[in-house]
Amino acid sequence: MTAQDQIKDTVTSNDVVLYMKGTKTMPQCGFSSRVAGVLNFMGVEYTDVNVLSDEEIRQGIKDYSDWPTIPQLYVKGEFVGGCDIITEMTLSGELDQLFEQKGVSYDKAAAEKIREANG
Amino acid sequence: MSLTETIEQRLRDSFAPDTLSVEDESEKHRGHAGYREGGESHFRVHISAPAFASMSRLERHRAVHAALGAEVMDRVHALALHIEGGASQ
Repeated sequence: MTAQDQIKDTVTSNDVVLYMKGTKTMPQCGFSSRVAGVLNFMGVEYTDVNVLSDEEIRQGIKDYSDWPTIPQLYVKGEFVGGCDIITEMTLSGELDQLFEQKGVSYDKAAAEKIREANG
Repeated sequence: MSLTETIEQRLRDSFAPDTLSVEDESEKHRGHAGYREGGESHFRVHISAPAFASMSRLERHRAVHAALGAEVMDRVHALALHIEGGASQ
């Protein structure tokens, strides 16, 4: 299976996927850590893919989305954005809306807490 | 021309922004991954331009990546982008 096929398979067979440097429990980059932290805090079930453990995936994910940076968040096969976009969407409530539209369960109260703390 | 100046110039040329700031935040990341002596590795850009008004978040970021070009994107370790649509239409 090529890297592109493997990525397509991963993002379409899992509801929420985060391509990141490190893992959800041990992120190895501040930007990856911020997005994983938001998802962890919001109680979202997601699959983490550590690009540092696979050079083909590390390059392949940039080609797949035509996006030059890591982390990258996918919901139901669709690329949502990187760290800046996810942060903005969390604070504006758009991420809540997206999860609701896509039928992804999350802790609304936790999302509100993030917004209160950063309001 | 420094990388900071190159980023500023390319963004001005491409988007004629109402407001633009390009900060080299590399010193804040001393000792972290991607830091290198002399800085110019970590940047934070605030830009507001009418050109962004009709774009989605992804489109705004893609437009900035394209304006900076692969050569700049490859040299930069981290680029935080804050993009707004701007007031004047």
